[in-house]
Amino acid sequence: MRGAFTYLRRLLLASIACVLGAAALVYVVDPLQLFRSSPRAFYSDDTRVQNAGLIRSQSFDTAFMGTSLAIHFRQSDIDRVLGVHSLKLAMTGSNSRQQSFVLEQAIDRGARRVIWEMDDFVFVDAADIEADPYLPVDLYRRTAKGIASYLFSAAMAKESAFTLVRSIPPLREPLSRAAPYLPVKFALADVDDIYALPQDYDVARDYNANKALASFAYITAPSRSRFLGEGYGYMAMVRHFEQDAFGLAARHPDVTFDIYFPPYSILQFVAMRDASPETLKIVTDLTAHIAQRLTQLPNVRLHDFRAIKAVTHDLSNYGDVIHHSPVVDAKVLQWLASGEYRVDARNPTASLDDLKAQVEAYRVPQ
Amino acid sequence: MLFNSYPFILLFLPAVLAGYFWLGKRGNLAPVIWLALASLTFYAVGSWQFVALLLLSIAFNYGIGHLLIVAKLGPSQRRAALALGVTGDLVVLGIFKYAGFVTENINVLAGTHFAVHILLPVGISFYTFTQIAFLVDAYRGQVAAYALPHYALFVTYFPHLIAGPILHHKDMIPQFERNETKLPDARLILCGVIIFAIGLFKKTCLADGIQPLVTLAFEARSPSFDQAWLGALAYTFQLYFDFSGYSDMAIGISLMFGIFLPVNFNSPYKATSIVDFWRRWHMTLSQFLRDYLYIPLGGNRRGRVLRYVNLMITMLLGGLWHGAAWTFVVWGALHGAYLCVNHAFNALVPNIPTAFAIPGRIAGTVLTFLAVVVAWVFFRAASVESALRVLHAMFDPSNIVFGREETAALVLVALYAGLVWLVPNTQTIMGYDHGGRRVGEAFLAGRMRPLVLYGASLALAFGILGIQSHSEFIYFRF
Repeated sequence: MRGAFTYLRRLLLASIACVLGAAALVYVVDPLQLFRSSPRAFYSDDTRVQNAGLIRSQSFDTAFMGTSLAIHFRQSDIDRVLGVHSLKLAMTGSNSRQQSFVLEQAIDRGARRVIWEMDDFVFVDAADIEADPYLPVDLYRRTAKGIASYLFSAAMAKESAFTLVRSIPPLREPLSRAAPYLPVKFALADVDDIYALPQDYDVARDYNANKALASFAYITAPSRSRFLGEGYGYMAMVRHFEQDAFGLAARHPDVTFDIYFPPYSILQFVAMRDASPETLKIVTDLTAHIAQRLTQLPNVRLHDFRAIKAVTHDLSNYGDVIHHSPVVDAKVLQWLASGEYRVDARNPTASLDDLKAQVEAYRVPQ
Repeated sequence: MLFNSYPFILLFLPAVLAGYFWLGKRGNLAPVIWLALASLTFYAVGSWQFVALLLLSIAFNYGIGHLLIVAKLGPSQRRAALALGVTGDLVVLGIFKYAGFVTENINVLAGTHFAVHILLPVGISFYTFTQIAFLVDAYRGQVAAYALPHYALFVTYFPHLIAGPILHHKDMIPQFERNETKLPDARLILCGVIIFAIGLFKKTCLADGIQPLVTLAFEARSPSFDQAWLGALAYTFQLYFDFSGYSDMAIGISLMFGIFLPVNFNSPYKATSIVDFWRRWHMTLSQFLRDYLYIPLGGNRRGRVLRYVNLMITMLLGGLWHGAAWTFVVWGALHGAYLCVNHAFNALVPNIPTAFAIPGRIAGTVLTFLAVVVAWVFFRAASVESALRVLHAMFDPSNIVFGREETAALVLVALYAGLVWLVPNTQTIMGYDHGGRRVGEAFLAGRMRPLVLYGASLALAFGILGIQSHSEFIYFRF
């Protein structure tokens, strides 16, 4: 009996030692660069977590925000075309609560300009940021709970151990090369590669008219068309816009906001027109409201790329009905730089009216 | 409350253990009541709105059981009492679990628009099944009269309450009645902690670790061949480590109280046939379905054809037990068909020559595993249509992506396959013998002791470090 108690005590003490050892390892290696920046750090595509460290460790004057529509931009391209020192913080599938929260952190750390790719669906009703299980707000705020969740984490301990092994000179090169093919998260050597298409990516294979039309057929099938309007409610979306987007821009008059509506393919709106007209009405009413409100703010420049026919009607630019190829990313940066499609405060719905006419007239290729 | 949560591990469990053994020095009944109250608290923390339903269910079944065991009823009255009890249980289960599903199907068939929104009480399938077994056994005259606190504890016992294993009154209540279980047994507590540590590691590190890969197949609009296979395999391993991890934790926690729970998994993916698989997967459910459904239907006693019919009925209902959706019906039907084919094969094909025994077993294992993976696609998919899309991709090798993400996924899936096929299971490592009430004898006396001890401390440490705020058990809502 006494022996078993001794073993039990040993087991529990050894477990405590392991937990503390793992926490010490995470603190020393600091894979997120939450405590100190490191020129030899590696990065993760898990942007909801990675952003907390990027905001702490990178120097920047411009924050870039968006959803998967903006995911394949490269920081270096943004810097080159717009003449800024940017930090890309776009998060796939993010909502306006998450985006606004992360942007606020970036502004607090020195961002003087925000470039914001704004989808209508980011304003759908979702959990409040304090109750959001997917964005570690305490980690961003560096509260005791946030720091503890970082240090006492098996996932971070695993990443730290891998980073440590990778720092051994003979292993550094082969493990760095192999990292993207291994089940580790911190595998990217260059901050530019965070959630961007690999340089050798076969764009034509994944962005072409066949894929866009197949996606259109999929989402408009009678059995799935109800998903087109899932979560869309005009009043709730306006409320979230006012709180998260308008509120953020109004709170920071010294920060310049370049906000743009991305160039979805025309099929996105035609799908709503054909399968869920009530959703199309919500979207157009909401973006009219957004345009009217944002153009009132002197620190906001609103750009609308949704009615640029040469891009949105050329289905070879798309992988589905909304996601465009990197070729379009480059154009978006050019348009932002030139201000060519900036919404005029005197006529804020002009481009929306264009878009409505295009949607009305468009016939899907058979 | 979740087993894989800090409040449970650091507060609830130590407090309940301390109270149980402190009261155990003072008598036999007080610890039982304490544990039953702790179990209700455990349940109420996450599902307070269903506590009344749980208590009503206990009172109803205990009352019917009392009629069957103590009251001097005639045969027809006994039959009526049993029918009332089982019907009552099934009606409640049916309303909470299947009303929405039935209404949806009526709407489709009749073009109506009725809407039923009923929240599913956590654990209702588990506590209903345990009590149906109690009533049937009481009717068969196989139950002694039990005190209400012991019966209530048998139903609510928190290690099993919300996700099993499914308990049997004949196994559990005598253990609750024993005086010895009320005093701390260092060896059982040590073994319980080790088994709990292994289960926690399986859940938080292994199951949650591979979960992101599941989206490759099930949340992609049109997965490629490799993505579909990797996603399906990831789910196959996630489900196993999630549920067997939960069962290990339940067994480990219970062992700390001196109570042996039945084993629920025995390396199911090492099965050499579907019949073998069902002897190794969710074993307590298989036993329940066999004893209280398949055998009462006639089992294999009424000829070969009816045996196959009974198998199909049993597996279809087993599928529906897992969830009120056509995907579960298809999953059950597939396993029913697999079992029929397996039995037909055994009946028609002569014994395999010894020289082919090992290749035959390997082929059987591979074929069984593939059949199980195909069935899991229906189990996991949101709809039959979605499952068919994944399956279509799994059988279309012309569409392969195999980029960086898929390569990394393949490495992880291969690691899990190695764990599943090459590493001994928890009960083997710990020498856990539920029937013989033995555990840990070999390892405590043998050379493996330091390895198991320090391996367990690592598993416990990483299990605790792996706890995430949003990680439920897959079997929670069954």
